[in-house]
Amino acid sequence: MVFIETDGKTVEKAIEKACQEFNLPEERLNIEIISSGISGLFGLVGIKKARIKASLKKVECKDKLENAKKTLEDILARLKVDANVNAEDLGDKILLNINGDGSGLLIGRRGQTLDALQYIVDKIVNRSSGDRKWIIIDTEGYRERRTESLKNLALKLGEKVKRLGKPVYITPLNAHDRRVIHMALQGDAKLITKSKGDGHLRKVVISTKKGL
Amino acid sequence: MRDLIEYIAKSLVDSPDEVVVTEVHGERTSVIELKVAKEDLGKVIGKQGRTARAMRTILSAASTKIRKRSVLEIIE
Repeated sequence: MVFIETDGKTVEKAIEKACQEFNLPEERLNIEIISSGISGLFGLVGIKKARIKASLKKVECKDKLENAKKTLEDILARLKVDANVNAEDLGDKILLNINGDGSGLLIGRRGQTLDALQYIVDKIVNRSSGDRKWIIIDTEGYRERRTESLKNLALKLGEKVKRLGKPVYITPLNAHDRRVIHMALQGDAKLITKSKGDGHLRKVVISTKKGL
Repeated sequence: MRDLIEYIAKSLVDSPDEVVVTEVHGERTSVIELKVAKEDLGKVIGKQGRTARAMRTILSAASTKIRKRSVLEIIE
């Protein structure tokens, strides 16, 4: 948290000074009074300056939405991609949808470019304090297509595990994709799913209950 | 390319003034060197190098577009 301390003859003067330092109006700052100052006898004896501590107020939700949209647009412009971005507030999430040329460049292999963009924008937007907002970046309905194909993969592998009676590993997936697999097989009483490994190499293992 | 990395790095760190990005052009491959304040090094690398990896992924997508290869080097 960035904060500054300022002083002045009165509390008001000190606040004014802080506003100048931040170049922001008083409403955008949190003011904490350290000492309110004593004007002293005839303004001569025992003068004590007022001291305050000022810090930036939490960034409001609307600002985060704007910030997220602008950050993504700025990055896309530097990627020389001609696209516009639709931003939507979903409570604790912000959905950014890119309307691009449909070349798939922004998606990348297994969505890795889209995930990288999402991760970077999330980091930048949530750097400032305030409520954490999850950033979801989508384009051309990719997220839904991906979820659908992962579900199908999970069901297909589930059948395979039952047939072979041996556990099956899926290639490393990110947290969101792993969740889709777990959810898809949750209802199957004969199967168990577990995540194994560390970091970006974490993968899902599907096995039968007996096999354990 | 240089612009792209400079923008991302400056948005991530605490001292954007100390971000220096240089690009060394090669025939097919360019090397982009990123220098940041010592305290910000962790911010551009990230947990288990996740931020650095994300930057490299975005960079390679941008390079594919112009049919070149780019390498991101973070200088200590």
